[in-house]
Formats: sequence, structure tokens, C-alpha cells
Amino acid sequence: MAQIILSNVQKFFGPAQVIKDMNLTIADGEFVVMLGQSGCGKTTTLRAIAGLETVSSGTISIDGVPVQDKRAADRDIAFVFQSFSLYPHMTVQENIAFPLRAVNMARDAREAAVREVAGVLRITDLLPRRPSALSGGDLQRVAIGRALVRRPKALLMDEPIGSLDAKLREEMRAEIKRLHVARGSTSVYVTHDQIEAMSLADRIVIMHDGVLQQVGRPDEVYLRPANLFVAQFVGSPVMNVVPVTLGGGVTLPGAPGGFAMPAGLLAAVPQGADVALGIRPEAVLLTATADAGSLAGTVSNVEPLGSHDIVDVRIGDATLRARTESGFITAPGGSVWVALDAGQAHFFDRASGLALRKVA
Amino acid sequence: MASISLRGVTKDFGSNRALRGLDLDVADGEFFVLLGQTGAGKTTTLRIVAGLEKPGAGTVMIDGQDMDGWNAAARDVALVLQQYSLYPRLTVRGNLEFPLQSKIRRMSAAQIKERVDKAAATLQITRLLDRKVERLSGGEMQRVSIGRAIVRDPRVFLMDEPLSALDAKLREALRVELKRLHGELGATFLYVTHDQVEAMSMGDKIGVLNKGRLVQVGTPAQVYGQPCNTFVARAVGSPPMNLIDGRSEAGMLALGDGRLPVSAPAGRDLTFGIRPENIRLDSGAPVSGRVFDIEDHGVVKILTMMVGDQRLHATVPARTGVALDEVVRFGWQADKVLVFDRVTGANLAIG
Repeated sequence: MAQIILSNVQKFFGPAQVIKDMNLTIADGEFVVMLGQSGCGKTTTLRAIAGLETVSSGTISIDGVPVQDKRAADRDIAFVFQSFSLYPHMTVQENIAFPLRAVNMARDAREAAVREVAGVLRITDLLPRRPSALSGGDLQRVAIGRALVRRPKALLMDEPIGSLDAKLREEMRAEIKRLHVARGSTSVYVTHDQIEAMSLADRIVIMHDGVLQQVGRPDEVYLRPANLFVAQFVGSPVMNVVPVTLGGGVTLPGAPGGFAMPAGLLAAVPQGADVALGIRPEAVLLTATADAGSLAGTVSNVEPLGSHDIVDVRIGDATLRARTESGFITAPGGSVWVALDAGQAHFFDRASGLALRKVA
Repeated sequence: MASISLRGVTKDFGSNRALRGLDLDVADGEFFVLLGQTGAGKTTTLRIVAGLEKPGAGTVMIDGQDMDGWNAAARDVALVLQQYSLYPRLTVRGNLEFPLQSKIRRMSAAQIKERVDKAAATLQITRLLDRKVERLSGGEMQRVSIGRAIVRDPRVFLMDEPLSALDAKLREALRVELKRLHGELGATFLYVTHDQVEAMSMGDKIGVLNKGRLVQVGTPAQVYGQPCNTFVARAVGSPPMNLIDGRSEAGMLALGDGRLPVSAPAGRDLTFGIRPENIRLDSGAPVSGRVFDIEDHGVVKILTMMVGDQRLHATVPARTGVALDEVVRFGWQADKVLVFDRVTGANLAIG
């Protein structure tokens, strides 16, 4: 159990700065997921917490104790990697018990601890086997078991299920979440997969170019993205982002008319600002007949996905993607009426990328 | 522009039979997607059409002409692969010109320039023409590879997982572009993938391949709505269709602690299929399940529920408030349930 605090952490690799002035507090028992593209600094941050990487400046404290100058072994933190890194010549039992032998724990206590963690991970049957006889999912269960057996202050995971196939990934993701709920250990998890992040995290930390973009609950990040990067990184299909001109409502480039927007929403947008409208596909509403406030568009593409369709509609010079019921529009080329759910509209400053919202 | 047709094509690699009497018809101008897992035979099929492999038996026809004895170059097909295989030292323009500079084409410099400029415009890579290929991003490189196929104006485009190496956002964008490109060129596309989203979103028709045989051919709506057997039901749709073994008694299926309506013959071992989006959560519904996992997609949540000893997936609106281990109640409408023979896996609604 541990609270982890990063204060003003900077990290340079030569001239390249990979972590830029990072401040983050991870609460005791919290599951935090660091999300970003490769090269964004998420793994470096995780390794810095673990002590596998030094920081150039700033402090990292665990339970109030600065640890940035301590060795990894002295931080009492466990790490799970994408590659399983088990000892091939040892049985599962011996692999899991290894960290306990290293601290000279008595044999009885050691075996009890291994049995307990094996029970939680449902690998008791596998204890006598060698790693070479295990499937990918079981290997990762053993690696997690080995990390958890000594009851570390925190569990750090770097894309632990990234190399598994889709079905196994889903299964393991569910188990990791349930294990966290059962054990309550502080967990920091790195991934580039936004659905994994949304499904696992108490809070998501989104990074880009070494800079922390937003920290928030999954629904906050999805519903109130702090900037354009977050808006377009989280959610699939990607949020529509279109430069607009503002009047009483918003007008897309080249469009004959505008969409009405409540004055309250526009109040946060400075007059004359260079602004983009952000709207998710599920908030682009298509109808066969004109409604008050809807605009005519032309269907340019239809992606039938079975449970729903993604329909691209051209309005003026812009294309908006809409999520519709399956079979609502069967072929491109026709015209359709488009309305926007103003409650799900976002505005962004095009220069800074920042979301423009009224401060609540 | 051309049709493709395969009749009784087999292919063995040593003792491994990759294709087992494959019959396949791709109409002129069609976007046909072969969907299958690793080892299903999709890449082998593509390579046989391209002339890079010889079939063990059977015939390959392009535009009604038997291709036996025609080498790959003579078939006038273009192949786009997952790996870009561009010339790293050349510019984008150099790469696009390359296939046209072959002596047998005898094209003038002006003709070549026209073709290259047109292909570049179609793929929106005009601004990249003078860049070295090694300075491009993955998505740009894949556009250039497609461009190199387009400039030749081939009869048929063969594509082998061209989007698999790209990240999710880029794949999303290129799916739309490829489909637009297909529309603009009006060419025949034979596209192989293991990704059912690509198959559904791009294909005019999907052919589901399993162990060297075509299991079902149909439009995306047909394959998704009326899969011919449980294999196709599992292969298309994410999360996959829920499949529940059971029997129909008085029009009801016993499930967990309750019963749900089905429309199926009584007294017979069956497998019932229900799509996750057709399961409805409702506090007054007949069956209960315990929430085992919640996958959050933002727009929807996908629940995994333990129902008795079965795991069922249900897609619910994002605003649905549920927690792990919460007990929820659910139901479905009988007309949303597909019925399969337990032994053969065949869909009873399809003759």
C-alpha cells in the first residue's frame, strides 16, 4: 500500500527531454493507467518510479519518503513487463517463490504465500510445471504472481498483456482489474490502448511528447477532454474536429448555414477566436427528414459494423462521421439531414489546442 | 478491370493442406474481402491468383481466361502487402515511376509523369512526391505502395493485410480512403485480412475462410445477420456472438436462474446465438447475471456477465451505472435469437 508522488520530474536522454516537468499524485490503492503513443514518455515515467531509470531532476516519493536516489531493490515495488522474464529452469512454484527466497523467508511462510497468490490467480494446478509448458496467458499470470507474492507497496505494469491475442487480452484485463479490487494494491499500468485504459483505470494519465495532457476518471477524459490531443486519442472512431466560424451558432467551412448552439456553451469561447468544433460520432444525429436546426449533407461513405454503422457525411467542405443504427443508410451518394447534440459539443482553441469551457 | 474465379483449387505445403478445393468468384469491379485466421489459407489464395504460387489442382481464371502457364508479370495484377517494400533510396516519385519504366511498357516520360501525378493526386500524396521514402510515416509509406500499384493500371488489385502494421487511428482513416479509391478506380479488389472490422466496413462481399475452405460468402449484412454456422457467427462481430447450448421447451430456453423466449424446434440439442447488442438490461427481466468485467468504450460499455457457468457479453449504453460483481437482470426478444444445430453448427434458418 502506498501513495506515490512525482514532483517536478524531468528526464533527459542526451539532449532529448522525455519527461517534462511532471507532477502527479497517485493515491494509496488507486489504479492509475498511463496512456499515450510510443515515445510519449509513459514507460520512462514508470521505470523512474520503479528505480530502473534515474530522473534528471525532481523528486519521487513513496509514502512520503523520497526514493529518487534509492536503488530499485530498496523501493519495495514490483514490476511486470510485456515479456514474461520467468526462469525457464524453475517450476512455476519456484519462480513465484524466488523473490521470497531472496529475502530469506522461512520455507513454510514462503509456501503459504505462494499458495495464496496462486489461488487468487487460479494457477494452483500449474505450480509443478515449467514455464515452457504454459500458454501465454498463464505465463503472464505467473509473472504477476511473482510480482505480487511479496506484497509490494505498489505494482507497476508495462503493457503486460500487449503480446497476447485479443481474446486472451480481454480475459487477462478482466483478471488484472479483479485482482486489483481484491488486493487493493496501488497499481500503475502503462498502455497505448485506450480501451484498456478506459476499462482498467480509476484515473487515466494521458501523456504526449513527455508532457502530461490530462489526468481524470475515464468518463471525464471521454466526456470533457482537456485538449485536442486527448479528444482525438480517446474514443473510436476519432472525434470529429472541424474549424468553425461562430455567430449565433457554428458554421462549418463552406456550409450554407449554421448549427444552433445554446448561448451558454458559446459564452466560454472568446469573440473572434480561431476555434474548432469537436463532436463525437454518436453526437452527430442523422435523420431522413428535415428537423428544426438540421442541415442537409451528402453521404460519402458507409461502414457497416454489424451492431451499428459509421456514416460519413459531407456538409460544405467538411466531413462529419456519425454513428447510426445499423442499416439506417445503406449506400453512399444520397442526402441526409444532420443535427448535432449540443450537449456533447466541444470547442477548442486551434492555436493552443486547449478546450474552451466555462469554468464550472 | 476483370473478374476472378477459382475452381477446385488445392494447395499443399508438404503434408499441410493449405487449400482444399477452393471455389471463389469475384465479380468485375467488386471489393471482395477474404476473412480468416492465420493459417486459413487467405495469403495462399492471394499468391495463387497473383501467380506467385502454383495451385496443386484446379483452375484460376482472370477475366474468363485460364491463367495456367501465365507468369506473375503477364497476369497484370498488382499486389499490395503489409510490408511496404519500397526503394528506400528513391523519392516517392522515383518509386511511383519505377514500375512504368520497364522496357516492355514503352511509355514516354510525359505519359509516366501524367500517370504518377494522377495517382499521387488520388492518394493525396502530391506534396510528398520529392521526399525520400525513408523520411515518410507508416501511413504515408502504405499510400505510396498503393500508389505504385495504381500507376500500372492493373486489371486486379490484390491486397494482403495492407493496414495491419498501422496504428488504430491511421487504420480507421485508411479504411475510408481505400474504399473511396475502390469507388474511383472501379477496379476489382481482392483483399485479405484477419480483422473482421476491415472486412465488414470495406467489403462489398465477404468470404469467410476456414482451413482452406470458404465457409460463407455474402454481403456484410448477410454474414453478420445470418451467419451460416457457429464458426461464422464467432468470426464476425466484436465482441463475438454469444453462443449458448441448450434445448427449447415450450418456446423457452432455461438459462441461469430463469427462462428466455426462443423460436426453435423442441426436444433437440441446439446452440442459441444472441448478439451482445441484443441483450437488454432491465430490472424486471427474467434472468440474472453477475458482472464479471466492464469494458469501457466511452460510447458504450461491454459487460461480461456470469450467468450460471456461462459468460455472456452484453453491450449497454455508456451511461448505464454498473459495478463489478453487481447482479443485473437481462432479457432478449425471441426474434433476435439465431438457432444452430449443436452437432454440425449449421444455422437452422439456412436450408
